[in-house]
Amino acid sequence: MNRFTFIFLTCIYALFLVYQAFIEIPLEHQLIAASLFILLFGIPHGAIDHVLFFRKRKMSTLKFYTLYLGLIVCFVGLWFWQPLMSFVLFLLLSAYHFGESQLVDIKQLRLRNKPLIYFNWGMALLATLMYYNISELKEITTIFQDTVSFNSIYNERLMFWFFLFTNILNIATLSFLFYTNKLTSRRFSSELFLIALIHLTFFLFPFIIGFSLYFVVLHSIVVMHQEYMFFKSENESFSVFEFIKLLLPYSVLSIVFTALLLSLSYWGIINISVPFLAIIIISVITLPHAIVMTIFYSK
Amino acid sequence: MLLEIQAMSPTDYVGFTFFIGYMAMFAASVFFFVERGSVNDKWKLSLLISGLITGIAAVHYFYMRDYYLATGDNPTFFRYVDWTLTVPLMCVEFYLLTRAAGATKSLLWKLIIASVWMLVAGYIGESFNPEGGDTAHSVTWGVLSTIGYIYILYAAWFGEVAQLAEKSESEVVKKGVRTLAWFVLVGWAIYPIGYMCMDGGWLNTALGWGSENVDLWYNIADAINKIGFGLVVYNIAVTESK
Repeated sequence: MNRFTFIFLTCIYALFLVYQAFIEIPLEHQLIAASLFILLFGIPHGAIDHVLFFRKRKMSTLKFYTLYLGLIVCFVGLWFWQPLMSFVLFLLLSAYHFGESQLVDIKQLRLRNKPLIYFNWGMALLATLMYYNISELKEITTIFQDTVSFNSIYNERLMFWFFLFTNILNIATLSFLFYTNKLTSRRFSSELFLIALIHLTFFLFPFIIGFSLYFVVLHSIVVMHQEYMFFKSENESFSVFEFIKLLLPYSVLSIVFTALLLSLSYWGIINISVPFLAIIIISVITLPHAIVMTIFYSK
Repeated sequence: MLLEIQAMSPTDYVGFTFFIGYMAMFAASVFFFVERGSVNDKWKLSLLISGLITGIAAVHYFYMRDYYLATGDNPTFFRYVDWTLTVPLMCVEFYLLTRAAGATKSLLWKLIIASVWMLVAGYIGESFNPEGGDTAHSVTWGVLSTIGYIYILYAAWFGEVAQLAEKSESEVVKKGVRTLAWFVLVGWAIYPIGYMCMDGGWLNTALGWGSENVDLWYNIADAINKIGFGLVVYNIAVTESK
């Protein structure tokens, strides 16, 4: 167990007690709490993509922003043209990104195997999340007219096999890495424990709470830590305060812009439901962020 | 006068594990006390503590199996008496293992206080919970109890205990403390789950799990945690005595 898993576990115990008090938390309250934490931790973890990119690659600022924003615009266009395909693409992209941030520090992986291992780890995570919460997911997506089409991928039978296959493959991969000495026994047991904890979280808690807990603690905070350690390796005197100062302006800008768009949807100025718009926003910023992070993780 | 023999159903797994648990812990105590003679002097106290942990648990299990057979109820009172004595002793094991690396008396007391705090708060939360369950009561005492648990967990994984184990020159001690930390992490996790299965608890209300469901797991977990803890200490003592 590493420190992030410890924080995750402490949050699970805290949530146990919250549920002991309230038994059920209304969907609206779940959404408010999840949004708050995602804005506070999720947005900042991708707020300094440009800084990380320029540390790794040489490119003109104009070209970088054209490519970065161009990808966002293209993905927005795809959402309006093919929403279901965009949603699937978002899931696939997220799967790779989650897997990469989780396993990137295993240096002994062969270059050609890396993408598959990362991708499967993330797919197992998403399959587990969806499998345990499929009826809730169906219920949520049916509430809003523009998300109804997502129901077609929430097929119980398909989800079961998908859940089983990705999880077995994931554990088999980790076992193989351990067997071939690419993973220490400590890391192997830690990974298995984390997988068990993720299953428990997704099984016990509602979809939104389970996912937010994973996304905030095991992804966003972990990535921010990796970013901080990178700057620290460049400059020994780099402090947490300086890191927060670096994150702050871009995070505030992103939070204000996201909140503005969601407010426009809430007040009916944009004819898209708040959850659908939230998915679009998250997905379009995930695409360039995931690419930048892959470059950041490269040697 | 003949003792009154209580009939037991072959499918009464809770009753079955009460008997197994009692005998296993009794046997483990005998083992630890006897083996005390085969290790170096500095490890004798650790094995004595291991024997006491399983011995105290065995006596309580002796009472609990009779109580369960006679009433069919969850023997919460006896469980907490048992835990209040044995869990602080498990924390003493952490101190004894890391003493050579510089563990202080203050660490010992902090661990003992945290474990007693955890158990007393858990006992008040579970045993003084009114019929049907009082949420405010169970949550308040649950929070207090969890603080004690999280402290011990932190100490074993990242805090003083873990740091002292890392400083230790012995690989066996390092590995042993790490294994004991796993016991605290995984083995002890059954207890908060049990807490939430009481009347009015979240798992009781949401998933329909009652105390009758957790008794079986308590019995299995108690045996694994206590005997396992002792065996890890025994392994360290034997290896270090060679």
